[in-house]
Amino acid sequence: SQVLNNATQKSPVDYTQPREYRIGGITVSGASFLDPNALISVTGLKVGDEITVPGEDISQAIQKLWAQGIIGDVDVTISRIEGDQIFLDFHLKERPRLSRFTFSGINKSQQEALNDKISLQRGRTVNDATLNSTRTVIKNYFAEKSYLNAKVNMTQRPDSLLPNSVVLDIKIDKGPKVKIGEIDIVGNEAFSDRKLEKQMKKTKEKSLINTFSSSKFQRSEYENDKQLLLDFYNSEGYRDAIIVSDSVYRISDDRLGIRITVDEGRRYYYRNITWKGNYLYDDEYLSKVLGIEKGDVYNRQELDKRLTYNPTGIDVSALYQNDGYLFQSIDPVEVRVEGDSIDLEMRVYEGPQATIKNVVITGNTKTSEHVIRRELRTLPGEKYSRDDLIRTRNELAALGYFDPETIGLQPIPNQADGTVDIHYSVVERPNDQISLSGGWGGPIGAVGTVGLTLNNFSTRKFWDIKEWTPVPSGDGQRLSLNVQANGKYYQSYSMSFTEPWLGGRKPHSLTVSLFKTVYRRPDFLEQESKLDVNGASVSLGRRLQWPDNYFNITHSVSYSRYNLDNYRQLFQDFTDGTSNSISFVNTLSRYSIDNPTYPTRGSQLSLSVNLTPPYSLFKDNAGKYEFIEFNKWMFDASYFINLAGKLVLNTRAHFGFLGKYDSDATIGPFERFKLGGSGLGGGNVFVGTEYIGLRGYDDESVFEGNDPSLLQAGGIAYNKFVMELRQLISPSPAATIYGLAFLEAGNNFGSYDNYSPFKLYRSAGIGARIFMPAFGLLGFDYGWRLDDVPGQPNAKQGMFHFIIGQQLR
Amino acid sequence: CSNYQKLLKSNDVQQKYAAAVKYYEKGDYYRASELLDAVTPLLTGTEQAEDALFYQANANYELGNYLLSETYFRNFYTTYPRSPKAEKAMFMYVKSAYNQSPDFEQDQASTLTAMESVQEFIQRYPESEHVAEANEILENLGRKLDQKAFDSAKLYYKIKYYKAAVVALTNFQREFPSSPFAEEAAYLKVESQYEYAKQSVPSKQEERYYEVVDYYQNFVDQYPESEFTRTAGQIYDNTLAELERIKKEKQNQANS
Repeated sequence: SQVLNNATQKSPVDYTQPREYRIGGITVSGASFLDPNALISVTGLKVGDEITVPGEDISQAIQKLWAQGIIGDVDVTISRIEGDQIFLDFHLKERPRLSRFTFSGINKSQQEALNDKISLQRGRTVNDATLNSTRTVIKNYFAEKSYLNAKVNMTQRPDSLLPNSVVLDIKIDKGPKVKIGEIDIVGNEAFSDRKLEKQMKKTKEKSLINTFSSSKFQRSEYENDKQLLLDFYNSEGYRDAIIVSDSVYRISDDRLGIRITVDEGRRYYYRNITWKGNYLYDDEYLSKVLGIEKGDVYNRQELDKRLTYNPTGIDVSALYQNDGYLFQSIDPVEVRVEGDSIDLEMRVYEGPQATIKNVVITGNTKTSEHVIRRELRTLPGEKYSRDDLIRTRNELAALGYFDPETIGLQPIPNQADGTVDIHYSVVERPNDQISLSGGWGGPIGAVGTVGLTLNNFSTRKFWDIKEWTPVPSGDGQRLSLNVQANGKYYQSYSMSFTEPWLGGRKPHSLTVSLFKTVYRRPDFLEQESKLDVNGASVSLGRRLQWPDNYFNITHSVSYSRYNLDNYRQLFQDFTDGTSNSISFVNTLSRYSIDNPTYPTRGSQLSLSVNLTPPYSLFKDNAGKYEFIEFNKWMFDASYFINLAGKLVLNTRAHFGFLGKYDSDATIGPFERFKLGGSGLGGGNVFVGTEYIGLRGYDDESVFEGNDPSLLQAGGIAYNKFVMELRQLISPSPAATIYGLAFLEAGNNFGSYDNYSPFKLYRSAGIGARIFMPAFGLLGFDYGWRLDDVPGQPNAKQGMFHFIIGQQLR
Repeated sequence: CSNYQKLLKSNDVQQKYAAAVKYYEKGDYYRASELLDAVTPLLTGTEQAEDALFYQANANYELGNYLLSETYFRNFYTTYPRSPKAEKAMFMYVKSAYNQSPDFEQDQASTLTAMESVQEFIQRYPESEHVAEANEILENLGRKLDQKAFDSAKLYYKIKYYKAAVVALTNFQREFPSSPFAEEAAYLKVESQYEYAKQSVPSKQEERYYEVVDYYQNFVDQYPESEFTRTAGQIYDNTLAELERIKKEKQNQANS
């Protein structure tokens, strides 16, 4: 609105002649609760200001008053004009303001959900528009929960505490839940009603068959499902299919009916596919990559997928895009339609090769940029390649600092100079893990554990007090501390530190770890027995370029010193003295998994050899315990195949062999294997026992043969094979959840004489996993044993296993 | 303490506001802000509304809630542009934004918004007593962007991706011509190109060494008295020697 002309005004405003005035005075009328000076201050006008009437200044003042949301209406009039002085009056209509609002008829969590949705603001006036929008929001909220008949009743009453204020009582009557009683599809000949109803994902009939699926009616989902129905027809070659009409009607108080009439049209097939404009690849090759043949059912969706981007296989554009041809495009044109046959002409534009100019990273609120940039495979000056982009995405996901589902890759082409900028966006997620636990540790009683793993630590910022929020982070270093104790009898301290880019110049990782464990046992003869183990290890990791750049190699050396004092449990005939273990571990691995929390494709292979020097070849058996010797070979392979959507098949194979250098010697107690259960054994930490899960069997219970001493000592060779089908349930970064079904088989052997790789104990089962950044992976499985383990005739047939942490084996 | 809890639950706006002001003046910004959060919406249009909003903004600033103080201060100077406190509020808005700008190694989105807000402030209040400080803030923010751009270009040199380093340094020179790092960038470009040429296949070497010469000449023209002149000179000598070698090899080939 603008300045109004009214009868009492002596010199009315001429709207064709804007004039400059100086404000001589401002008054506010009609306000009985609001403060005039505060209102004038809000208008932004002041006595002495130069304004144009009519003009922008007064409109703006009115807008500012409205913006406060505290008035019912406002008129501006000129009370008088003296020379170039103008006197303005703001005439207000006051309206009661909302001081509080209350809900009734619904529960607390619904109230909280509604509080976030409705636009009522305390301190603002209540008008019909806000009331209406509030009513709509509440109705929509309950409609989504299938209370289609919810009634909303809003009453205002004056607030006794505040003048000119009202309290709004919102009364809600949800009414009965309304579900879909019947779905009727008319006009379909090619497909059955059932087949078509199955295409609608969220709109389902309430019936005994559909007990597990919801039969809510949601308008937006319904519209979506109608499109899915048409998509289905289109994918089957019925490219002319339409929904002629559809109606939603009420059957009873709590049941709806839906009737959809379709016109299917005819089914079409591909006839000739020709290519035009392609110089880099010949027609035949492009047709082969496209993979559509004459006589195939016409399916535009599938065609587009195979032309532009096919997440589960190859596509034509990948040929171009992986070689820099970013500007490439293919336009399929229907050149002839005859009867049920369609001729396609693919019009290819190849364009120039694009080189990368700028690479920009955003969203790293914690991680330093160089930590991210050094991992990127898209380098300035290189040819653009879509594969490099996807590879980079996977590697950023593998760092673990970012939510893998929201890593953004955006090539921004500059067609003018044939370059492309690449924008990466990341969302940080917490990935430090704290563990606090207490448990019963067998003969020594209660054991408490405190553990802390910082996965994105920064030693560089260690001395800067400002960076302690709560710990200095962002440089990609890993620090892990762990203390386990039960007072006098058992204490274990360990610490490890990893720098992924030693010196910051090459991706060579360095890990240093230290540990100390003390174990005491009270003896009957007042003589204490004690084992004290101290150790350290250093390992260096390197990325390889050959055989391909997914390979890594790690070398490590570790040393442990065992001090025995009247301690019988480690060796039978050596109870006092010192024993040393020096070992060299070399691991060659290949890692190409797309997402560490929920892998959908890629593989993980690892071959590891753990050797001690072969002392016995130089010296006789004399110092048998002085220097421990063994050699150990481990092989693990894991493959992920995406079957459909988020359904993934994981197949794994694992082998481990323990050997000796001297053919006369026996293999010692060190580094042996124990198989069975969840694979979470923590029994004998001193001898480096390898615990491997085999679900459906008791923990550490599976071994070949009848020798019960193996149960204690562990085997020297094992193998295990797993097939696991996984389905993602929740991809949320706060809690990634998936379900699984498995078949697995394994065995553990005490000697190479009875080793036979195909003699296996089998099991089957189902389970679920949840990954939360602060706790890592947790889960449970229920496994059924399919074979009997000799010597354990009464073992249970089925059992639960709890799983903590990501397990390689 | 219990008195405070009672106040929080009470519906008496005036009493709550008075207590909030008292806490504010005592420096108990946490309690002041809690109470002000409850009453400011109900005070709009009254005499106290203006002061209440300023207190709320400043209490949050003092508590280090810069995201909130930024919003409140902005609300203040847009709602009360004629208030005597408007200039101060806008300056505090700038400082709130400035405080949210992270270290140069992190995402600089908030640095950019902070820079915009400083410029807006200087434009609106060119005579303000805070202009000197505002300019200093602007300079600090600009330096961050500078340093970030230079560091990310230099990273490629550091991790020995020399071809990428040359491209990234060229981009840097184009986008930040007057940067204090421009000199080092010019030198690193010479060295990176030299290393790149050295690693190249023989058929490409000559062309790439000539580019080293080109970059070196640009460097000495622009920075005749640089701390890098000596090392750059050595690279130049090596490059000339390499070019000499290539020339000889070519002649030998032509002769044989």
